[in-house]
Amino acid sequence: MKILLIMIAGFLVLISCERVNDKTVKYLITNSISEYNVNYLSDQGELIKEVITANSAQDQWTYSYIGNEGDIVFVSTIYKDINSAIKVQILIDGKVYKEGSSTHDTIKYVTVSGTIPYE
Amino acid sequence: MYRTFLLFGLSFLLTTQHLSSQEIEGPDTLITLNEFEIIDIHYKKIPYQVNKLEKRGIDEIAVQDVGDFLRSVPNVSGIRKGGNSIDPVVRGLKYSQLNVQLNNGQKIEGGCPNRMDPATAHIDIDDLLEIEIIKGPYALRYGPNFGGVINMKTIKPSYAPEFEVNVSALMGYESNWNGMKEHISVTGGNKNIYFHLSGNYKNYGNYKDGRGETVKSSYKRYNYTAQLGVSPVRNHSFIFSYDRSYGRDVLYPALPMDERTDDTHLLSLDYAGKISNTINSLRAKFYHSDVNHLMDNKYRPFSDTVVAISDIHAINYGYRAEAGINTGKCQLFFGTDFENIYKNGDRTKYFILQPTLPVKNEMLWEDAHIQNFGFFAEHDKSFKSLDLVTAIRLDLNMASSGDMIWKNMGGEAVFQNSDVDSKYTNFSISTGGTYHFSKKLSLSLAIGRGVRSPDMTERYIILLPIGYDKYDYLGNPKLKPEANNEIDLTLKYYSDKAGRLQANIFYSYITDYISGVHIPESEIKPQTKGVLGVKEFQNIGNVWLTGFELTYAIPSEHKLGIVASVSYTMGINPSATKYIIENNEVVGQVEVKNDPLPEIPPMEGSISALYRFCKGKFVPRISVRMVNPQNKISESFYEEKTPGFVLADFSFVYNLNKYLSIDGGVKNMFNKAYYEHLNRRIIGSTENLYEQGRVWYISLRFKV
Repeated sequence: MKILLIMIAGFLVLISCERVNDKTVKYLITNSISEYNVNYLSDQGELIKEVITANSAQDQWTYSYIGNEGDIVFVSTIYKDINSAIKVQILIDGKVYKEGSSTHDTIKYVTVSGTIPYE
Repeated sequence: MYRTFLLFGLSFLLTTQHLSSQEIEGPDTLITLNEFEIIDIHYKKIPYQVNKLEKRGIDEIAVQDVGDFLRSVPNVSGIRKGGNSIDPVVRGLKYSQLNVQLNNGQKIEGGCPNRMDPATAHIDIDDLLEIEIIKGPYALRYGPNFGGVINMKTIKPSYAPEFEVNVSALMGYESNWNGMKEHISVTGGNKNIYFHLSGNYKNYGNYKDGRGETVKSSYKRYNYTAQLGVSPVRNHSFIFSYDRSYGRDVLYPALPMDERTDDTHLLSLDYAGKISNTINSLRAKFYHSDVNHLMDNKYRPFSDTVVAISDIHAINYGYRAEAGINTGKCQLFFGTDFENIYKNGDRTKYFILQPTLPVKNEMLWEDAHIQNFGFFAEHDKSFKSLDLVTAIRLDLNMASSGDMIWKNMGGEAVFQNSDVDSKYTNFSISTGGTYHFSKKLSLSLAIGRGVRSPDMTERYIILLPIGYDKYDYLGNPKLKPEANNEIDLTLKYYSDKAGRLQANIFYSYITDYISGVHIPESEIKPQTKGVLGVKEFQNIGNVWLTGFELTYAIPSEHKLGIVASVSYTMGINPSATKYIIENNEVVGQVEVKNDPLPEIPPMEGSISALYRFCKGKFVPRISVRMVNPQNKISESFYEEKTPGFVLADFSFVYNLNKYLSIDGGVKNMFNKAYYEHLNRRIIGSTENLYEQGRVWYISLRFKV
């Protein structure tokens, strides 16, 4: 009976070991010297629209959350000041997953997106 | 790997600890395994082909998937799209042309429109006691039967005179794709109440084919089952069963999506009884199957542009009730069954490169229902040298759905069909006899007509590339039922000394054959990137299939066991339409006379030899499978030829004692690079989906 219980317990442990791979997602925007619009996907999966004002290229806009493998990550920006520039990065667990940038381009959005890779 | 060794080590410790406290059994109590038999002599009265795969066959070879295991039966093949969930094909017939069921009547509707999860994919092979394959449209007691029945029978609880508990467990490992499987089963009870609990866990990585290329085929599946049996009075019993299964990250390189999650509930209540020697069989089953299936394209390069997620919910519920009356010289079965299929699902597309992240929702099925009421009877009568079986079946089939609508990004309908209801009455009949020339030799003839109503996909699918070819497919609610008119002739010879020989030929004439017909782009435009156009399901006329099966087996009493078989199927469409394609567009069409049907496997043969050493304590086996090239290919479907191949496997079973056995071996011993004719191609390429290269495997089995 003891062996039986050990075997059942062992099996239950094995099938209950479903990994949940949490990932730290960080959206990072730099290089802008003026106002820009940003659309990004929040941790709740909602598309958030914000207007950000940067004073220097060193200013950072960030948004971080804990996501899961397979989640969509999305940031899209555009600026109106022809003298400005922008650099958008998505970092997953501290490493750059995707990035994009533009300089003196007020026409095209810089859109960086993808899904959190599965291990 | 570390986890694998840890598990084996733990198992070994548990086993040796247990054995040390037990008296070692003498040779007279050793468990003897017979060879894997695919033909059962109990079916010698039946005039059509019945193959039975038993648990010992499952135990002896490294197999994780029901569809894969079925391919060991002559003239049964399968369509591979990934590492598992192979979709069975019997004598060239597939999908809803086959009646695939669980435990004599429970149906399961898969979620995926591309059949990544056929009914067989929802059952763990280590829960099975046997699989019965009834070929042809003859057995009409198990629901509408067009081309054959695949009946998966799971291990059931059974009563015991005194209360007892039995436990069995399995741990297996496969090289190549670092596959691990575990199974535990607890059975017990007494003569009034009995139970069965089991659980399975399978975790396999990507495999390498014979060329050394990695095939993205990894998957994880696990499940648990609970069954409770009650016998309140003598000759009457009830069994309640519940199965909960999960699929996670199951990859299908030959499909546009992978299975992200699959959560399935299977529920059933069975009654079996006997009132008298005349009313000697009463059976009833009520069931409910619920499949929640989530798929996406996140592993695919295209997901960098559009992330697509499909969420499907499929429910089957129904019943089957049957009575058997024995009048001494004949047996009569009659009964009724009912099946309700419900399917609803959509696909959500996220356009992730567009600044506003637009999202489009597309209905794949819109609250679609199919209901089938069946009434059946079977009469078995035996004369001195002749056994006769006659069966009839009447099906009332009704289908309905929400409007079939496809909208563009602006929300405007580019396709709409509101005429979606249909109702059919189908009559099926079969008869056959077996004439026994002697106790050793018999000849059987069976004739039957099986009619099936169109399935959910053929009726209601809305513009998805689900076929063998590169077209968006469109369902047709007004399809007529398809009928299979078949004849089987079977010669059986059995001798205690010479063994068992069985030869069968069949001819099948299918009327109102359902296939895809191209619709001009002026009527409807394709909605999938890269396809050639839209095909609508239509009844295109009549086609025929023919073939044979030849099997020989040495009597199982011999130390040397040999099983050999050859099988062949060919199918012809007398008048097929081939669409002329230029610059990735359909520009015309021509008629092709006597075009082979697509997805028909080539002729193949196999031979398996084993020897029972030490009264069956150690049984090594060597198997060779020879498959012809497939050169009879469908011109109209732009099918391509497939080269032949020869495979060799080695396996062994070593019964250490009555508690423990070890089996192992090597599949594809010479690491042959090959693919089956029915394997789909890697999506987005012309690359074939190769089978596994060499695989070493070992399993430990405990029984206490």
